[in-house]
Amino acid sequence: MSKYLVVFAQAHLEFRVPELESVAQLYNFQISFSDNPDERDPGRPYMIVGLDEEEHARLLAKRCILVKSIYEFYGKGANYEELHICNRSKRTLWERFIPETSFRFFVTSYNHKIPQRRQKEVVESFAYMGFMGKIDMKNPEITLGCFEEYETRNRATRERHEGDGDFLQVYFGRLIEEGSARSLIQLFDVKKRSYFGNTSMEAEISLLMANQTLASPGKLIYDPFMGTGSMAYPVAHFGAQVMGSDIDGRQMRGKGSTPGIFRAASQYGVSSRIVDICTFDVTNNPWRCGELFDAIVTDPPYGVRAGAKRLGRKKELDTSRLALYHEHCTNPRVGDSPYIPPTKPYELSNLAIFAETWGRLVFFLPTVTDEYEEVDIYTMLCEGMEVIANSLQDFGSWGRRLVTIRKVTSEKYPIPDFSSPKTEDEERHVPAHRHFREKYFQGFRKDGEGE
Amino acid sequence: MVRLITHNILACHVKGCTSNNFPLQLQGVQIELREAEFNPEFLKTFLPKIEWKALVDTAKEARDTSLPLEQPEMLDDEFLKNLHHVLLEIHIEEGTMICPNCKHNYPISNGIPNMLLAEHEVG
Repeated sequence: MSKYLVVFAQAHLEFRVPELESVAQLYNFQISFSDNPDERDPGRPYMIVGLDEEEHARLLAKRCILVKSIYEFYGKGANYEELHICNRSKRTLWERFIPETSFRFFVTSYNHKIPQRRQKEVVESFAYMGFMGKIDMKNPEITLGCFEEYETRNRATRERHEGDGDFLQVYFGRLIEEGSARSLIQLFDVKKRSYFGNTSMEAEISLLMANQTLASPGKLIYDPFMGTGSMAYPVAHFGAQVMGSDIDGRQMRGKGSTPGIFRAASQYGVSSRIVDICTFDVTNNPWRCGELFDAIVTDPPYGVRAGAKRLGRKKELDTSRLALYHEHCTNPRVGDSPYIPPTKPYELSNLAIFAETWGRLVFFLPTVTDEYEEVDIYTMLCEGMEVIANSLQDFGSWGRRLVTIRKVTSEKYPIPDFSSPKTEDEERHVPAHRHFREKYFQGFRKDGEGE
Repeated sequence: MVRLITHNILACHVKGCTSNNFPLQLQGVQIELREAEFNPEFLKTFLPKIEWKALVDTAKEARDTSLPLEQPEMLDDEFLKNLHHVLLEIHIEEGTMICPNCKHNYPISNGIPNMLLAEHEVG
């Protein structure tokens, strides 16, 4: 394997490695991470990975939302002496460019601005490479990049150029591919979408979710809480067919003769890939048996902006109202409105069980930061499932975790029963996402704390 | 626009209705044909999941007899094109799907099937 330098966009640190791994799996190639913890720390803006072919680096850069660019790795160091020793030892990688390849050379930094004068010094320090081709800043055959990484300032103000040269690490390499998937964030911008709602998922996260599903042509991917279809558009953009359902058809339809989801899908040129949208409660679903979907992707309602509901009443009807209800069902009068079933809230931790008969399940789980434990995720798993990724999007006192689960068994399981959530003393462990809504509206206060 | 692919994976799910509840019968349906992009890769991966007889019978109701009674072993281009048309280009816009067993009616309105059950029907 050869080494490549990944330059990340500064967002969603915990999503970086899962995305690289998912895209590698999607295109069926290996990616390896360094044994050196400094080189594989997902909190750092630069990461060194191992790949078999240059083409694999290109595929990653074209599909990963969080990748800014990928370089062939030539060297790194805590100072320039170390970097140059490393770069000289990699001469076989770059000597073919010496005679006549036109090139561009740039020096840049993370968390810092390098003064022009020193940028020039840095470029000159690479003179030993002896490149004889012409320098071309516009259309060079190759681009060489040198990256200095400075410590995060934590919002402390610093004088311009203060601490110049006092970097943690410097990296050097040849550009393989600029990341092109980040532009999709603008394309799928919710504000420019012809149909959206107050629960629509932001574009960047929905694209990251789509990558976790391994969306590609030939797959059928299902969202059981379709809502306004936020995840459907990127999934369809990557070529997959999408099936959606929601307990509330109004979310999917909106106003107008064409359902809102199809209007937005047409805007992205993918409306023929939205196979269908159906109204039903996923906890009472009409899918026939069979492993129908290649992946499930969803942002289930947890009751903060939209309630988590399933069919049924919170309290049973008394006898007289029950009689009225049966009358309405059996003998509707002309002009009666269509029957709208009542809904009752459900405990979301039951939902995960529903995934068992399918491939990858990608979903968000809100958690209370102080109470979250790794084991929370495992309480939702059933036999034959494994966690592939679990990435936190941190909002302070709470956060949400994008969880990716994979089915690793071909055994059939019975249809899950959502009707009776386990009572808390029946369970050995109460996950931190249990009763998330109540905790959210109480401001995550502990019992006994004052207002 | 309930497509026939969707019809092929929906079954009646009324409490206790567990046999002879598939495929749902169509009644008073209004059909529209809409072009979709041809995706042979998808058709090939989805093919083993299809309930073939149900699909052929339903296609007949929509006046399409292009599919063979048995799933062929050789997947030639003509077959895939016909399958593509039946699965993805025939849309049921309005009408009702009826359970052959318990006769429950699932209405389709503006292309969206309403599969919600009343509370006494929930399992």
